[in-house]
Amino acid sequence: MKIHVDIDLCQGHGVCAGEAPEVFAVDPTESRVVVLDPDPPETLRAKVEAAVKYCPTRALRITEDR
Amino acid sequence: MSAAIPRLSGGLPLLGHLLELRRRPTELLQRTRDECGEIGELRLAHQPLVMLYGEAAQEAFFRAPDEQLDQAAAYPFMKPVFGAGVVFDATPEQRKQALRNRSLRDQAMRGHAEGIARETERALAGWGDRGQVDLLDFFAELTIYTSSAALIGPEFREELSAELVPIFHDLERGTDAIAYVNPNLPLPSFRKRDRARRRLVALLQGIFERRERTGRKTQDLFQILRGIRNPDGSPRYTVDTITGMFISLMFAGHHTTSTTASWALLELCRHPEWMKRATEELDALYADSRDVSYQALREIPVLESVLKETLRLHPPLILLMRKVVQPFAYRDWTVAPGKMVGVSIATSNRDPALFRDPERFDPSRFEPGREEDRSTFGYIPFGAGRHRCVGAAFAMMQLKAIFSLLLRRYEFELAQPAESYRSDHSKMVVQLAQPCRVRYRRRAVEAAVAA
Repeated sequence: MKIHVDIDLCQGHGVCAGEAPEVFAVDPTESRVVVLDPDPPETLRAKVEAAVKYCPTRALRITEDR
Repeated sequence: MSAAIPRLSGGLPLLGHLLELRRRPTELLQRTRDECGEIGELRLAHQPLVMLYGEAAQEAFFRAPDEQLDQAAAYPFMKPVFGAGVVFDATPEQRKQALRNRSLRDQAMRGHAEGIARETERALAGWGDRGQVDLLDFFAELTIYTSSAALIGPEFREELSAELVPIFHDLERGTDAIAYVNPNLPLPSFRKRDRARRRLVALLQGIFERRERTGRKTQDLFQILRGIRNPDGSPRYTVDTITGMFISLMFAGHHTTSTTASWALLELCRHPEWMKRATEELDALYADSRDVSYQALREIPVLESVLKETLRLHPPLILLMRKVVQPFAYRDWTVAPGKMVGVSIATSNRDPALFRDPERFDPSRFEPGREEDRSTFGYIPFGAGRHRCVGAAFAMMQLKAIFSLLLRRYEFELAQPAESYRSDHSKMVVQLAQPCRVRYRRRAVEAAVAA
């Protein structure tokens, strides 16, 4: 699972960091998301999917490795 | 070399399409798309406005950086409302602070949900078992309290009274597009706007003085702003500037939420099958716990679809604009600096390429499988890109909290002919035209539980 951010859309709401703190953080000076782990383990899938789903600006996307 | 941008027909010698914008904006914006296609130029008095249509052109608009497309200069009718040194006078850097003040951050939302529920309970306290209510009056007052409590602080909310309702009404009515000619023309609506703003400054001044006299310590946003000092020790922000900040915060979240709440309730009354589905969903959701908590508000799919569909058909803002600072190129066309570019929310939200049977109220279009809101740059009631409404999540949460209480407690029906409810588009701030009354009756089930 790979994480993609459309940084033009991110406003730093921090919902993703709340859902999956292992994977996302918010840069306080930039008010933008920082992806801590762009290729997170499967065990975090549910949390990452919640982060994507609840992102208020829909800036996040998951693609699958093959 | 730019291809020629098609021009919209009609328009008066001096005013251009300005009067049409004030009278029938939705029709004007649709006509531009029908006549010109993806890009078309019209004129607001001396100001050329190039409209962009369709997902791809809208994406180019929403992705353009601030250095190329300036938001501030596009809305001259807001300056006298906000005042000097506020929002649109601020740099992009200062504007970014809005999120850093944290009141809209996700962690803050939990507390807001409970506050909104409490506020709605207060507003319903005097309703009794049955009666009639004017939706604009009711939701305008409720959302003044909810927004000021959430964005400024609960202490401040207690210092407010219903007096704010007419003040904000006059400020909102002061957003006449005739401001493109001159925002200070001697018109009654502009005079009322300025009087309302002066009254609000005096009101806030009174609040600050009372706080100082009584030595009351609060930690709300106003007190923090008031406490910021210049190197010489004088307050950095005058009461006038703080008032402007308050207005700008409220403008983003007040009339927009209040109008959406009104239209959602009206559409539910007009479509009893959806009223039934939404009410049953809430009854089931709150069956074990009666608390309107953040967690409960997270997933209310039917209600959420109803709200999304309301925003699609009745967007509280219908036209977004930017002033071109550096040449803006899209496909074969280049828009020169000095012109404005615009995106029509009203037109995009009814684009048949994105929405099946677009004129129909059909919340099921957002259900899994159809998801007609998936287009980030096509379904745009909150805009898109870096200037997308930062309060969108707050607004949806607030609407869900309000409806969680309203629909479980009361039944509603229209008190006027169905076609008499309409939006008043004569000002840039869209509001429901009055009268807009509905009848309510306490639900038998709810009454039994309460007893």
